[in-house]
Amino acid sequence: MDQSKPVFEWQNRSGRPITASGFTVTPQSQALVSRWPHFGFVWNRPAAVVVERLGQTQRIPVYDLTRILQWGLLAISAVCWIGFLLLWRQRSKEMH
Amino acid sequence: MEESFDHIAAAAAKSQEQATRLFERLMKVAQPESVYSEPVTSGELTVITASEVTTGLGFGYGIGGGTGTFPASQEEGKEPDTEPKKEGQSSGSGGGGGGGGGSMARPVAVITISSQGVEIEPVVDVTKLGLALFVTAGSMLLMFSRMWRMSHR
Repeated sequence: MDQSKPVFEWQNRSGRPITASGFTVTPQSQALVSRWPHFGFVWNRPAAVVVERLGQTQRIPVYDLTRILQWGLLAISAVCWIGFLLLWRQRSKEMH
Repeated sequence: MEESFDHIAAAAAKSQEQATRLFERLMKVAQPESVYSEPVTSGELTVITASEVTTGLGFGYGIGGGTGTFPASQEEGKEPDTEPKKEGQSSGSGGGGGGGGGSMARPVAVITISSQGVEIEPVVDVTKLGLALFVTAGSMLLMFSRMWRMSHR
């Protein structure tokens, strides 16, 4: 194991460009790499694609809709629970 | 005993090298080629799938050895002998190792290239959303039941 490398590292990389229908598409990925003495994991996800045509370049991000909706549901649940706890506290103060 | 310990230490070192090589191969998952598929072309349409990949690996090993002396033994019920007993030496060594890993991939989006342009269509995992919705609904139900009890005290 290379001890000089950081424990957590974000790596942004571009893949091999693909040309089709007059467009040149370069995929980009983002990876979280974790290195420990006897453990390691890699989380790699698609970040964006860079589209080039006739000299014009456009970067289109790739959104993980499933993950966004999951976090949205979690956020709704957390907000409701925080509101409930605040209400509980207020009620307890009124009763005492 | 030293020979067996050296043998175990050599085997452990070899295992460590193999684990380190495997670990470096794991790092290759952090490449765009792991996430994006090869393009599939049908007519004027080219499709590339994009996935999220998670991979983990862990391993461990240990070796040990030692020497010791055991005192002179005395049988029960017998008077100790006048002659001194010889002490013995014992030694032991051992080693072990293990490892495990896992990998998961999930489709995230489909990239479509046509003469009309490049489109990215997200892939929605209905099962995961269903589970998240189930958990959210359960927690909300629990909260509402507690609020109802609180209001009826």
